[in-house]
Amino acid sequence: MPSSALAVAAGHDVPPLRAEALRKVFGEEDENPVEVVGDISFALAEGEIVSIVGPSGCGKTTLLNLLCGLIPATSGTVHWYGQPAAGTPKAVGYMLQKDLLLPWRTALDNVTLGLEIRGVPDGVRRQRAHVLLDQLGLHGFADHYPATLSGGMRQRVALARTLAHDPHVLLLDEPFAALDFQTKLLIESDTARLVRKERRAMLLITHDIEEAVSMSDRVLVLSHRPTQVKSVYTIELEGDRMDMMAARHDPRFGDYVAAIWGDLEIRPQ
Amino acid sequence: MRRYRLRETALILVCQIGLLAGLLAAWEYATSSSKLSAFLFGSPSAIFGFLVQMWNDGSLIHDTYVTGLETVLGFLLGNVIGTVLGLSLWYSRFLARVMQPFIIALGSIPIIALAPIMIIWFGTDLASKVAMATLSVVVVALVTSYKGAMNVDQDQINLMRTLGAAKRHIFTKLVVPSSLGDIFAGFKLTVGFALIGAIIGEFMSSKEGLGHAIFKAGSLYVIPKVFAALVATIALALVLSFIVGRIERLLTPWRQVP
Repeated sequence: MPSSALAVAAGHDVPPLRAEALRKVFGEEDENPVEVVGDISFALAEGEIVSIVGPSGCGKTTLLNLLCGLIPATSGTVHWYGQPAAGTPKAVGYMLQKDLLLPWRTALDNVTLGLEIRGVPDGVRRQRAHVLLDQLGLHGFADHYPATLSGGMRQRVALARTLAHDPHVLLLDEPFAALDFQTKLLIESDTARLVRKERRAMLLITHDIEEAVSMSDRVLVLSHRPTQVKSVYTIELEGDRMDMMAARHDPRFGDYVAAIWGDLEIRPQ
Repeated sequence: MRRYRLRETALILVCQIGLLAGLLAAWEYATSSSKLSAFLFGSPSAIFGFLVQMWNDGSLIHDTYVTGLETVLGFLLGNVIGTVLGLSLWYSRFLARVMQPFIIALGSIPIIALAPIMIIWFGTDLASKVAMATLSVVVVALVTSYKGAMNVDQDQINLMRTLGAAKRHIFTKLVVPSSLGDIFAGFKLTVGFALIGAIIGEFMSSKEGLGHAIFKAGSLYVIPKVFAALVATIALALVLSFIVGRIERLLTPWRQVP
């Protein structure tokens, strides 16, 4: 993979993703420009899971789009493996709350989409997709169309598609928000397992504080607009960090959740 | 639940047949008892008689075939040209904006106003009727396919970009297939428009076809024969839209959720 080559060239201490003084102002030429992201800096280390939580409408999704190169920053830079980003990075996996599965493709063909675009041979990409679908508990559903799958299964297919081209960094924007609680815990655990075992780095944007605490090594709390990093929590929990139920048994879990909740300054609407 | 729905479908069918039969019976009664002029309004039995006569002399099949051929050719040509243009406008926002007033202008022309020119350019045979059918279809096909292409979810496009897709990948793997729904919806509409275009062409100048039969019988005041040709036209329209529906189902298997 080109990303691992990059990683080796850059040395292991270079973070896969680093944002430096990132700012985004919408409608700069207008009378009332809106500053959404105001001066954000952070780094994502190799094999690290970092969550970003913040009050509703604080610009989390804008931040993600800046990191992916989908929209240009007003100022500041995004570095991938120490290199300033130009356009959409190659080794990134991107996943949203909407599964965005293509309805005319079967589960398998949805998973292989990215590999197809990269020109990976048919046999190789089918095999890769089968392995991922099996790992995510979708054995036997490869030939199903999305319309015939449940919400949880569809999101698993989306996760498989995100992982198919072996990205070193995952950027996830509330990917589990639309799922019921049980399904959510299971998919969170599967995601943590697949990410931690392969030493991928993951940035998770969420409004679910429990999800952030149970999944992450670090939680960044953002302020209201123009959003900035307000506080950073390093999460230390006992036991298997790939089991979201186990994480909730640690007594410190509740403390982290309460502290972050206090930081968010959720005001009654 | 399923049985209940089946019973409802059966009831609807019975009501439809009953309504048609009642209408025909009232029409027949009114004209045979001279409450309505049979000369001006025809009668179901006379229409049936003409249908049998046209079947026997072969003109029913021949005229339906001619009009059907014109319609199908115009439908295909108009949809291919319209869809290709409509989808390719997605590729260039600039070109789309340049073309917009021309498309609106072309779309606002009543097709019938073009018939004399089409006859002059393409003669009185098949080609002019196909041209009329094509013109009736092409702008609708263009607008529906362009709309379909522009309605593609921006998040979906972003996802494709993060997967490394170039514009041509986004076009072939996302825009074209996701526009199919709108394009097929357009097919159902344009098959009727193509038939109208073909019939208008035949009205202007022709030697054969259902439009020719209607026009000729009308000029001679043979009202039941006008209705007989009209029945054949309706049958043709129903058969063509049925076929389009079938093709749509065949080409979009993911839409049939078991």
